[in-house]
Amino acid sequence: MARPDAETEVKEATAVSLENVRKTYQLGEPVHALDGVDLEIPRGSYTAIMGPSGSGKSTLMNLVGCLDTPTEGAVVVDGSNVATLSDRERTALRGSTVGFVFQTFNLMPRLTALENVALPQLFQGVGRDERRERARELLERVGLGDRIDHVPNELSGGQRQRVALARALVNDPALVLADEPTGNLDTGTEAEVLDLFGEFHDAGTTLVVVTHERHVAERAERIVHLLDGKIERIEELGSAGKPDEPVDGSAATEEP
Amino acid sequence: MNPLESLRLSWRSIRGHKLRSALTTLGIVIGIAAVIAFVTLGASLQAGIVGDISPDDQRNIYGWAADPDTEGGPLAGAQPVVSGDDLESIEGLEAVDAAYGYAPIQSQAVSSGGEQVAQGDGVIATGSSYVREDTLREGRQFEPGEREAVLNPAAAGQFEENVSVGDEITITILGGQQATAEVVGITDSNEGLSPFEGFEASPRIYVPTDPYYVEQAGAAGLGDEGPLGPDGGEDGGEPDTEDAVEADDADQAAQAQADGDDARFIAVVVEAPSADEDDIDAAREAAIDYLESDDSDASEFLGDDLAMTFQTSAELLQQLEDVLDLLQNFIVGIAAISLLVGSIGIANIMLVSVTERTREIGIMKAVGAQNRDVLGLFLAEAVILGVVGAILGTALGLAAGYLGAWYIDLPLVYPLEYVALAIAVGVLVGILSGLYPAWRAARTDPIDALRYE
Ligand SMILES: Nc1ncnc2c1ncn2[C@@H]1O[C@H](COP(=O)(O)OP(=O)(O)O)[C@@H](O)[C@H]1O
Ligand SMILES: [Mg+2]
Repeated sequence: MARPDAETEVKEATAVSLENVRKTYQLGEPVHALDGVDLEIPRGSYTAIMGPSGSGKSTLMNLVGCLDTPTEGAVVVDGSNVATLSDRERTALRGSTVGFVFQTFNLMPRLTALENVALPQLFQGVGRDERRERARELLERVGLGDRIDHVPNELSGGQRQRVALARALVNDPALVLADEPTGNLDTGTEAEVLDLFGEFHDAGTTLVVVTHERHVAERAERIVHLLDGKIERIEELGSAGKPDEPVDGSAATEEP
Repeated sequence: MNPLESLRLSWRSIRGHKLRSALTTLGIVIGIAAVIAFVTLGASLQAGIVGDISPDDQRNIYGWAADPDTEGGPLAGAQPVVSGDDLESIEGLEAVDAAYGYAPIQSQAVSSGGEQVAQGDGVIATGSSYVREDTLREGRQFEPGEREAVLNPAAAGQFEENVSVGDEITITILGGQQATAEVVGITDSNEGLSPFEGFEASPRIYVPTDPYYVEQAGAAGLGDEGPLGPDGGEDGGEPDTEDAVEADDADQAAQAQADGDDARFIAVVVEAPSADEDDIDAAREAAIDYLESDDSDASEFLGDDLAMTFQTSAELLQQLEDVLDLLQNFIVGIAAISLLVGSIGIANIMLVSVTERTREIGIMKAVGAQNRDVLGLFLAEAVILGVVGAILGTALGLAAGYLGAWYIDLPLVYPLEYVALAIAVGVLVGILSGLYPAWRAARTDPIDALRYE
């Protein structure tokens, strides 16, 4: 009786856990993209992942985001081991528990901001009115209440990334994964988007952000350093460093 | 994801490429339009022809002598071989109710009340029961041997003052002779009364073979053409027409010869006692047996290169319908090819579209789209293209069929089952041509797709 309780406890506290995870690509000679990674991502935490190009950051994100399965080891997302799931189950888990934010935004070009945000719920079978309601609410939260009927082409980079963030949050995911979310943004809009990340983290969202840049990583509570498919070290930063970040003074959530 | 949502989303991407989508559906539009147009025309044509066969016509057997190898409809390659005597003998057969000749009179003009109108054909010499009583609007059938005529409304109406029963008309025969006739009846329809005439509406005048055809044939020497045996005239002597009966015995043969009583008919009509198939067959057999026997005048001409054909309207129509069916099959074949090309077009565009939208597929899968959702989206797109093509094609085809039927003046028949079929074909074409591209889309790996530029 004690064990199941303990397990429930773990499930409650941990959004993702990786145990001795390996990902090997066979290209003539095997490439170990990930080479024995152990990592726990607590619920409500804010984690940054840094490392040189080719160190396995994206591979890690794909595994945590249930897009891929490990060659070896266990990836447990929201209590389910991804390695043991069927393709369909993995997709279902991804849809309901993971939100993605990409460097290149990856919005559907012909859909409006509102429809883009509502898209994940379409695949969850949520009704049209409820979807639109939820999407509108989220777009207002990211400061785009007046842009809901614009298609991505009619939005700036910062605005597009905010739409993407709203879309990532629409299913109330257990965790939000962002792979270089500010890589395509200028400094001003970068700060706006990072401020939004901070806000959602404060509201309880679990965040994992891959970045090249130290000042982006420093917004998180801890930084995981990857090197050659292994965790080199984990740097604890205490609480999110937003208040003492000297990036700029305007903690704006609205575009001018 | 529910199918309605798939359709909605697919419709969005189709509208995103208007020109491309329009061109893609063109193959389907043309294929379906061709089928619908020709099926509409065919159905209208059949209704126009079959609708004209009155039940009374069904016991008539139409016969003519032609080279057995001759192809074509009624009277194709027909030669004048059956004599008046033959017809009387046939009429005397037990299995036969009536037998009479049928011969178009080559006319020039018709006049009534001092007014003359040109009429080159449509004067028909035949037996009195050829104009069936139930097709008479006014008056009665003409009597054999009398100078009487029955007109159809078009013939009666072509004069300033409509010709009516009791009036006198004058027919100018090719060559200049004139023949008068008293109008004794008006029919109720301008369409032909038998397959010999064709079924189209035109002015027609029906007169008895005797005297009109007999005279004309005599004048043209038609009757003498036949190499008559010495007893040829004798045979015809006994059951002769009233004119002949008046003549005395000695003169009879000569008289008959002079009158062209041995005029040969290019076509004959044999009436069976009923429309029953057995009766029809019995009458047909009896007539052919007699004509091929040595007793008949016709037998002299009949042989390897000239044989009698006896067919009912229904059988003749069947031949026509067979030709129509063949034509229709041909058109459907062409349409099927067009549909195939259309399907390949849709499949091709869908494949391009899948490649082009690899990234979108990746996005959808990343945010939780299952394989079957993606499959459904692309399949829905192909089906929409197919159905839209089918609907446009059906509309176009019906319009073309309608115009065609209106142009050749046929009763319009909409083959509704074909409209339903066309839509079903559209769905089918969509599914078949969309299946492979949609399957390719569905199994796209999201990681690769998101990396795809
Ligand atoms: N699909 C693949 N096939 C083969 N090798 C791959 C594939 N994806 C990644 N790799 C290799 O795995 C290693 C880690 O890649 P990745 O996780 O994309 O690195 P990062 O995102 O840190 O730049 C690299 O050496 C890369 O070449
Ligand atoms: Mg990467």
